Amino acid sequence: MIQTTATRELFTVDCQGDTLCGTCHLPAKGLVGSNRIGILLLAGFPMPRAAHGDAAVCWATSFAEFGYPSFRVDLPGVGDSDGDVPAELLKYISAGGYERVAAELAEQIVARHKLAGVVILGQCSGAITAMFAAAISAKCRGLILLDPPFHLPPAVRPTVKLALFRWSTRSRIGGLLSNGYDHLKKLRMQVRMQAGKNAPPENANFPLLKRWKHLASAGMPVLLLTAPEPKATDTKPRAGKFDYLQYILDLAGSRSRVEARVVAGANHTFSNPLGKAAVREQVADWMATFFPFERSAQAAETLTQRAASNIETEFAHRHSILAPVDAPLGVKG
Amino acid sequence: MGAQPHKPTVLVERAGYFPVSGAHLYTVLHHVEKPVARLLLAGSFASERHNSFGPWVLWARYLAQRGVEVLRFDYRGVGESEGVFEEASFQQWSDDLVLLANWLRSQSPEVPLVLNGLEIGALLAGLAFDSGIGDVLLLWSPPANANLALRPTLLKWVVADQLFKFGDDRKPATAYIRQMEEGSSIEVEGYRWSAKLWRESFEVVLPSALSDETGARAAYGKPVGVVKLGKEAIPLVKGGPAVADIPRDFSSLFAKNWSWLSAALAFDAGSNS
Repeated sequence: MIQTTATRELFTVDCQGDTLCGTCHLPAKGLVGSNRIGILLLAGFPMPRAAHGDAAVCWATSFAEFGYPSFRVDLPGVGDSDGDVPAELLKYISAGGYERVAAELAEQIVARHKLAGVVILGQCSGAITAMFAAAISAKCRGLILLDPPFHLPPAVRPTVKLALFRWSTRSRIGGLLSNGYDHLKKLRMQVRMQAGKNAPPENANFPLLKRWKHLASAGMPVLLLTAPEPKATDTKPRAGKFDYLQYILDLAGSRSRVEARVVAGANHTFSNPLGKAAVREQVADWMATFFPFERSAQAAETLTQRAASNIETEFAHRHSILAPVDAPLGVKG
Repeated sequence: MGAQPHKPTVLVERAGYFPVSGAHLYTVLHHVEKPVARLLLAGSFASERHNSFGPWVLWARYLAQRGVEVLRFDYRGVGESEGVFEEASFQQWSDDLVLLANWLRSQSPEVPLVLNGLEIGALLAGLAFDSGIGDVLLLWSPPANANLALRPTLLKWVVADQLFKFGDDRKPATAYIRQMEEGSSIEVEGYRWSAKLWRESFEVVLPSALSDETGARAAYGKPVGVVKLGKEAIPLVKGGPAVADIPRDFSSLFAKNWSWLSAALAFDAGSNS
């Protein structure tokens, strides 16, 4: 057995009392330069570090080809890593339970690989951890957030709600009732807005919103990619639902460097072909803008050639790749 | 097979890459000094790997604590292994399993080798056992053929995918199956299923001797366990909500299987638990 291949290296990190397992995707030797930034990828709940549909493997491979060493790590109690899983893991993550471990992880990676810093990419609950960790780590230079939830997980399991939702998507009567329910919620939301209450609902994750405001308003570069919500129109959320995206963009303030986009055709995990491709391409552009390094141009040329060939292969049977990403919501800076 | 287990004091897990033709397979060896047996874990398929990962690792650790050295791995093109999923075939996955089993056997040929597979992994382990590899076989929910394992995965994905689609965008599972039968690929939970994969899945069949334990024991002259995992084994097997934030207790499931395995290895499980 070997620990290293031409493009990958397995590693362990002792972090906050647990041994964490990870995979480093190595950039080509010709692309190694000074002042490098790495990318640390955190999978969504409850996935091992490959993430849904091995999306994180695909992205890390691509980022490394573009010159950015990329690290996928299993947090404590997940995947191959040591550690006990807290009884209610999602609640634990939402409260920033992995904050310290992810921050220390970022710092150890930076020290071990002599990097200038890392950008943390997180999907869903991984994005929550990324924000909490970024708020306490000086080594985190930027964030890539994929569909981060800004509300808390429900205290009661929504089994009945889910069953009703499924029924409403299958039956005509259910669909009509669902639309009626949406209108009622919309009216309620309008009444709230007219009363000057543009505050998030009670189940908002306020500690997370506080970290977001702190990071975004301080000018940390953030790439925020979201998938369209079910029954949503354009870039707005489903009727009657609180518009978190607009709220957090407002919260970020005028000094922020947040680039937010809704990716048409992507699913929540970004593991479908459109989601995978959009993240790969958006991150490549964004990293080159905010974190260029001395051989970025050379890397970009290589990536463009490979991407063209990948797209040709991957989307031979699809028709919408020419516009995988739509509607930039707010590019500030 | 009659040796008493040697309870390890410190568990060591070694992740590594095993070179095979055209790829490197990701492996994790749950190392045990002087093991009473060595066991190769052949996991479930593609996206099911991620869903079942937690208890799969726990089972490997459970066995290592009882003196069984365990090797688990990812199929080529899946998880941490290199390779392109849509270019891989059942034959390659089967060959990779055989290479790993032989490697594990070569560590000390006198130590019994157990093959333990889950769903499609059970099918592939069964085929390897049928060709003479391994001393003990433990199958968890083996399908009669690979297609019977692919179908529920496809159905589950279609149901989940439909939640986010309305009107004409919604398609039944049969439409996706038809697409593959007509030669196109489809995407299922982030993996591209090719027409070839679908076609070949009908041809990967569990050896008939493995359809029941008694017959299998008579046919091979070796211990064979066939266990249909139920709801208590979720998420090792499909079922339950897509995201379950509920702590699960697998101790009863593991104890039951360990009891069978230790009997098969002809030593007393009670002295090691």
